[in-house]
Amino acid sequence: MAAIPVIQTDNLTKVYKTGKEAVVALKDLNLSVQPGEIFGFLGPNGAGKTTTIRLLLDLIRPTRGRANIFGQDANLNSVVLHQRIGFLPGELSLWKHLTGKQVVNYVASVRGDDGRMVKHANELAEQLDLDFSKKVRAYSSGNRRKLGLVVSMMHKPDLLILDEPTGGLDPLLQQTFNQMMREARATGRTVFLSSHVLGEVQAICDRVGILRNGELKAVERVDDLTHTNFQWVTLHFREAVAPEVVAQVPGVTEVTAENHSLKVRLSGDFDPLLRAVEGHYIASIQTKEPTLEEIFLAFYGNHGEQAS
Amino acid sequence: MSGVVFWNTLKSSWRGALYWGIGMGLLAYYILVIIPDMDALNQYADMAKALPPVLMQMLGVSDAASLLAPEGFIGFGFFGYGLLLLAVYAVTAGLNVTANEEDEGILDIVLSLPLARWRLVLERFAAYVLLTLLIIVIAMAGMWLGAQQSALNLNMGRLVEATLNMLPGILFMIALTIFVSVLVRRKAVATGIVAGIIAASYFLDFIGKAVINDIVQVLQKLSFYSYYDSGDVVINGLNTGNVIILLGLTVILVAGALWLFNRRDVGL
Repeated sequence: MAAIPVIQTDNLTKVYKTGKEAVVALKDLNLSVQPGEIFGFLGPNGAGKTTTIRLLLDLIRPTRGRANIFGQDANLNSVVLHQRIGFLPGELSLWKHLTGKQVVNYVASVRGDDGRMVKHANELAEQLDLDFSKKVRAYSSGNRRKLGLVVSMMHKPDLLILDEPTGGLDPLLQQTFNQMMREARATGRTVFLSSHVLGEVQAICDRVGILRNGELKAVERVDDLTHTNFQWVTLHFREAVAPEVVAQVPGVTEVTAENHSLKVRLSGDFDPLLRAVEGHYIASIQTKEPTLEEIFLAFYGNHGEQAS
Repeated sequence: MSGVVFWNTLKSSWRGALYWGIGMGLLAYYILVIIPDMDALNQYADMAKALPPVLMQMLGVSDAASLLAPEGFIGFGFFGYGLLLLAVYAVTAGLNVTANEEDEGILDIVLSLPLARWRLVLERFAAYVLLTLLIIVIAMAGMWLGAQQSALNLNMGRLVEATLNMLPGILFMIALTIFVSVLVRRKAVATGIVAGIIAASYFLDFIGKAVINDIVQVLQKLSFYSYYDSGDVVINGLNTGNVIILLGLTVILVAGALWLFNRRDVGL
């Protein structure tokens, strides 16, 4: 029997009405996140990532469709579900007059802590090098983010929902964060994180959903996404070769010439390309996988259409 | 966890309530000790007679002659504008239930915890009911201390009733602030609307007392101040009907806020 998805949305839609105008923030989202995976939700600002997260947490209500978490309706069973969810908002605000310790104690008390959550919070703070004794207003944005991470993870939730989690963290701490996410996955927990930092998703996610203008454009395994779409091929010749020689080759969409080299963006097989340069002496061939950023742009294209 | 929000609200807000109680207690004490005997009260009443009647009405005195009675004077000196002073506390408390956290974006974190929305509102409101009682009790204590040092023959029972009579009015204003905050979401807008309603109520009430006119009398009934009627309570005792009306409106507003808050989007 297949495991119940941790997150399952069916035609989840959110329309905001401002006066006479209706803005579709999210349109017919059908998404399934499986237990134990780290799922990345990618998209530029305004794509609908935060709207999706707020719907999952029942902070806002869908215009139509539904979201289930652990097989239960996210709206009807929100209180029970929130016991198993840890959340870090994108724009984190906390009680400025409280110390980090007081924030942790308050959240722990609402969660019905028997002492273990505070203990784990202290461990996390140590891992993140966070001083609990300062007031929130005295924290830098990075430290505030760390406190948010501690609060979201202190109860060892089965599902972590993180909105732009590494904003404000320095590169070293991003590594620590990545490690924490991998550890969470290793213990069977599920992570759903939104980001526009593609490198971060590439580093830790198993699958990625690409969202634009409120619509889910693609859901792919990060490995597949990196390997399937296209690649950069650089042909080094003994003498200069005109770009026109390969410009019309099927699968070639971009050509740049530099010294004795041609760099092409190639989708599909190599054979037509090699046939086109037949007669020219090829000194070497280099291939390079596209970055996730390039794949991301390929999905969006200049006019917002998914690349073929 | 049941009661956690209630206790946390008490913990974070008891100092503010204590200061308000001490302030109101000192004011009550001062009003009682500045008039040492009946001669002084008569002189004070003579001075008050020179004031324009509308001004007297604004301060909760139906006529200058009522100032000749010690309770009438206290109604003028303390209860007349006491509720108006406590409106500041009530609005501040009401904003603390949802508006402040929603405005600052903290509500996202709060509602991501295993906590029902209705529980958040109800437990915080319950905490403020208790804290308002604390203010009332301290104000009563100040009044009792003042009465001990006054040569006036005071009816302490009536003074206790008049002080307790402030409670429904304060609770109504807290509930009104909660309801409007939940309705309009923005703290600044909610504060403006509630301040406007309180000011308009105060205005309608004293105009209703000062001007004999059918329309004005009807409009006065729209003012919650007309159900507070401190001038009458301090002399004749609590008006149960008025108390029930204010408490009933409080319950309706809190229930309305719970219903609205449970249905709407948060933090937009």
